[in-house]
Amino acid sequence: MTGAAYSVIIYRHMQPDNYLAVLRRGFINGVSITFTMAKVIVPFYIVIEFIKKTGFIAVISDFFKPFMELIGLPGEAALGLMAGYFINLYAAIAVIAPLELSTKDITIAALILGISHSLPLETAVTKQTGVNAWLLMSVRVFFSLLSGVILNVIWKLFS
Amino acid sequence: METVLVALKDSLILSAKLLFIILPLSIFYEFLKGRDSKLAKRRFAFIGISGSGLISLVTGIIIGLTYGAGVIIHSLRTSNVGKKEAFLILLFLSICHAIIEDTLIFVVIGANGFILIAFRFALAIILTYAIYRSKILKTPEGGDG
Repeated sequence: MTGAAYSVIIYRHMQPDNYLAVLRRGFINGVSITFTMAKVIVPFYIVIEFIKKTGFIAVISDFFKPFMELIGLPGEAALGLMAGYFINLYAAIAVIAPLELSTKDITIAALILGISHSLPLETAVTKQTGVNAWLLMSVRVFFSLLSGVILNVIWKLFS
Repeated sequence: METVLVALKDSLILSAKLLFIILPLSIFYEFLKGRDSKLAKRRFAFIGISGSGLISLVTGIIIGLTYGAGVIIHSLRTSNVGKKEAFLILLFLSICHAIIEDTLIFVVIGANGFILIAFRFALAIILTYAIYRSKILKTPEGGDG
């Protein structure tokens, strides 16, 4: 609760004219967020490069292929979606970036992942607000996949 | 060993690209935080979110559920935001949150950002409006319905 109280204190009492302090805080936050991301991205990226070499991705790809075709994504993107759902977006990006997908595929994956990611963490956060977090999580997963299907159809219509 | 070095290099380049996107965003957000966000006051009234719930909504849309959790939880608990409105806010945010950062980090690896933002915003508004208008939330215990 101290974190919440602190952010609200900043929110309420910040002097809008104190530009240098604001700039500094923004800079520090930006660097620290990027550092947090890099800590996830770098190890995942390396692990994925290795997995690519072993041919394990092909096994996973084949398994998810029928389902992924519905969304219009190649089978190997399933790995990226799972990383995004269960871990976070940075892990998902680290998985998807080395796969070298097309703009359409990346946009569809990004739409799905944007709606539905870091489910364990964000469901825990949502629970704190007192609303039905499980219902919201189901809504997110359902609409993320539905959006993928819809965007896939729309994209094909317009190209 | 070569694989590790190439992957290390590529992932560090990716991280550097992300830094260039996140840095201006976080600075911009700090500036935004100091201002009273009256600009969007009445704009979301039609989907059942207004006044005190708006700070939570705007915070969530811009920086996201996890980072904005403090602000969201606090303003939901202290201001007179009802359970129904809280549910609508979180429903909207479920579909459409951290819209700038989430979008840009995917643009870095080649996604179409315009489609992403337009799609998520439209879906969130349609869904929230539909639930707000429907009978689901008419019960006193609304939100769990």
